[in-house]
Amino acid sequence: MSRFRDGFIALALAATVTLSLSSFASAAGDIAAGEKIFRKCTACHNIGVGARNRVGPELNGVIGRKAATAPEYSYSQAMINAGEGGLVWSVETLTKFLHHPKGMVDGTRMTFAGLKKPEEIADVIAYLSAFAADGTSATARTKEVLTEIVHKSQFANAADTPIPDHGIYHLGRKALPDEVSAWNIDVRPDGQGLPVGHGTVAQGEQLFTENCAVCHGDFGEGVGRWPVLAGGQESLKDDRPVKTIGSYWPYLSTVYDYVRRAMPFGNARSMSNDDVYALTAYLLYLNDIINDEKFDLSNKNFSSFHLPNEANFIPDTRHQEPEYASSKEPCMKNCKATPAKIIGRARVLDVTPASDDKNQGQGSVE
Amino acid sequence: MKDTLHNRTRLVGSATRRDFLTAGLATGGVVVAASRSAAAAGDPAITEIQDWNRYPGDGVAERPYGHPSPYEKHVIRRNVTWLTADTRSSVSFTPLHALDGIITPNGLCFERHHAGIAEIDPGMHRLMINGLVDTELVFTVADLKRFPRVNRVHFLECAANSGMEWRGAQLNGCQYTHGMVHCVMYTGVSLRHVLEEAGLKTSAKWVLAEGADAAAMTRSIPLEKMLDDCMVAYAMNGEALRPEQGYPLRLVVPGWEGNMWVKWLRRLEVGDQPWMQREETSKYTDLLANGKARRFTFEMDVKSVITSPSPQAPLLHGRGQTVISGIAWSGKGTIKRVDVTLDGGRNWTTARIDGPSMSKALHRFYLDFDWSGSPLLIQSRAIDETGFVQPTKDELRAARGENSIYHNNGIQTWQVKADGMVDNVEIS
Repeated sequence: MSRFRDGFIALALAATVTLSLSSFASAAGDIAAGEKIFRKCTACHNIGVGARNRVGPELNGVIGRKAATAPEYSYSQAMINAGEGGLVWSVETLTKFLHHPKGMVDGTRMTFAGLKKPEEIADVIAYLSAFAADGTSATARTKEVLTEIVHKSQFANAADTPIPDHGIYHLGRKALPDEVSAWNIDVRPDGQGLPVGHGTVAQGEQLFTENCAVCHGDFGEGVGRWPVLAGGQESLKDDRPVKTIGSYWPYLSTVYDYVRRAMPFGNARSMSNDDVYALTAYLLYLNDIINDEKFDLSNKNFSSFHLPNEANFIPDTRHQEPEYASSKEPCMKNCKATPAKIIGRARVLDVTPASDDKNQGQGSVE
Repeated sequence: MKDTLHNRTRLVGSATRRDFLTAGLATGGVVVAASRSAAAAGDPAITEIQDWNRYPGDGVAERPYGHPSPYEKHVIRRNVTWLTADTRSSVSFTPLHALDGIITPNGLCFERHHAGIAEIDPGMHRLMINGLVDTELVFTVADLKRFPRVNRVHFLECAANSGMEWRGAQLNGCQYTHGMVHCVMYTGVSLRHVLEEAGLKTSAKWVLAEGADAAAMTRSIPLEKMLDDCMVAYAMNGEALRPEQGYPLRLVVPGWEGNMWVKWLRRLEVGDQPWMQREETSKYTDLLANGKARRFTFEMDVKSVITSPSPQAPLLHGRGQTVISGIAWSGKGTIKRVDVTLDGGRNWTTARIDGPSMSKALHRFYLDFDWSGSPLLIQSRAIDETGFVQPTKDELRAARGENSIYHNNGIQTWQVKADGMVDNVEIS
């Protein structure tokens, strides 16, 4: 991701760079704005030096590229057919595709619903245009000028500084109510913090398809290693438990809270409170906790829902385990009757990172 | 000499672990050969004049912020790409096998982000205190630096450290099995001062810490802990926090799981019950074999690991005098003792702890011994000041099953083979 970050920093560093880049844009779009919008795409697509195929193909030099020709990417048959039929990615064809991918190439693997604003499409295309086939871009880093910070006092006379009356050290200032409400968006299981609002399962399904399915799958089944959101009931004692909202999460409030603060990945805080109610309702529907597509979830009926696994959470009982209880002097000599035998070996799995590894191991960072 | 330079150049240019091991072996081989041939022609490292001995190097300020020697280029944080869907919600691991002492260099502290690194302009950063307080407050970073300051050295361990090893030996490297831990000196303000500045209401029991990143990371933390030894840090190892570690402000929660040490800290809400956020319900809860799950398993238990030799740091010098080096730590306080076995746990020798012994900080231990050259099964076992002994992995599996993900503090086994190469193994 550093390749991105470098580009972004370069843009942020100096206005002159941004200006020179604007003239570089082949479309009418703004590269800097396009870079931000492209973050939505980065869940699936890489661009820049060293970019690799991920859920979607790498996009270096995509402008002028025949469709379905990124090396080693496994395209849908629909996209392969489009490429063989003569589809080449240009400003015009990409504009159409990004507006409604499935509308242009029916059967494309790209589940992204599309960008609805023409200026956003133009910005993203401008950004894509900035990368050559080898991933180098016009967003070359300007050398930072190393200057010392010039300090400036806030008050001509330190003795004039007002001192607030709160606290012991009289530091900081009183928070304004609007400031507190701007950040204080957490929701508790008892409903404290829920905003006024509502949304239906059907509304949620549409929002989910447009914003969430790209990572979580159309039915919450998860794409690749993105989180699975639905199913897995009765799996918690299995060798491979599937921990979802329906099978594992104890509280519905967590769904609302987390979606509102952090989702969709790449564009957090972009959903309205009603949108989040609708999405939460749809997630209940995907987990068979409600069955009516017309169901309208709101701050009034929210707290009546309890997730199935709530009762299976217990406090920290590690101190009751045998190895905790035996805090006695451990054995030092002749502790085993027979020599230790090797019964497992990491090398056999060969999942340790190396230059040419393709193997995948078990487990994940949650 | 040309061969030596050639090999060193190759080492510098190498980027991957496998390349590094190969290159490292080649370099080691050259060193051995050089010392053996010394009797005949003399060691060219001595008999020939080296470039650095003849020509002046960079002047001052050529490297205004210094960096490690290019010959240490392989000592970097690394990730395991198959672990996660996206590097922005992922982890990179501390190269423990290449480090010594108890302080982790700032640029090598493992990373765990939930929505990438927040690049924050400190002038635009605020810390808000709200909820069950007398006066809801807003601080700038500059305001916080006016409180009385404290310096404390603490380890930070992710609850999922060694989490990929629950079902057996999987990753062949100490960096990957144990590298979600680091230890630095923090400078900041005791949280007690910050909370008391706002004035706590008597009903206050919990505090929600929130980050300013794109995941707006949140954790509920008992007020008692916050008032005991938590701090808001703005510096690590003497300089400003690194962006990867929460610049400009992070919460320090000594001895407790790393996820609670909220980075890019922007808000502390005081309440009377926990908020049951994503990171304390669906994640960072420990699923047991019976389908129940423990929550609020905050404290990190006593743990140790031999960092060298280990799979990425093989014993290449043949038999003779050598050093086993490792780290030990406990969320309950200091480490009282570390024992090391060379024979897979039949006989143990107490190792030497060297360097400072500080509460809830890494401890460095050594075992100096004469290696006969025969294969070894090496382990370390730490005992903390409360007398709690590091358990075996099998003891943990018997108590919890294999689906806990978190809090695996079991004893690690490395096999040192006859050629000095080292493997991650499990033994009977």
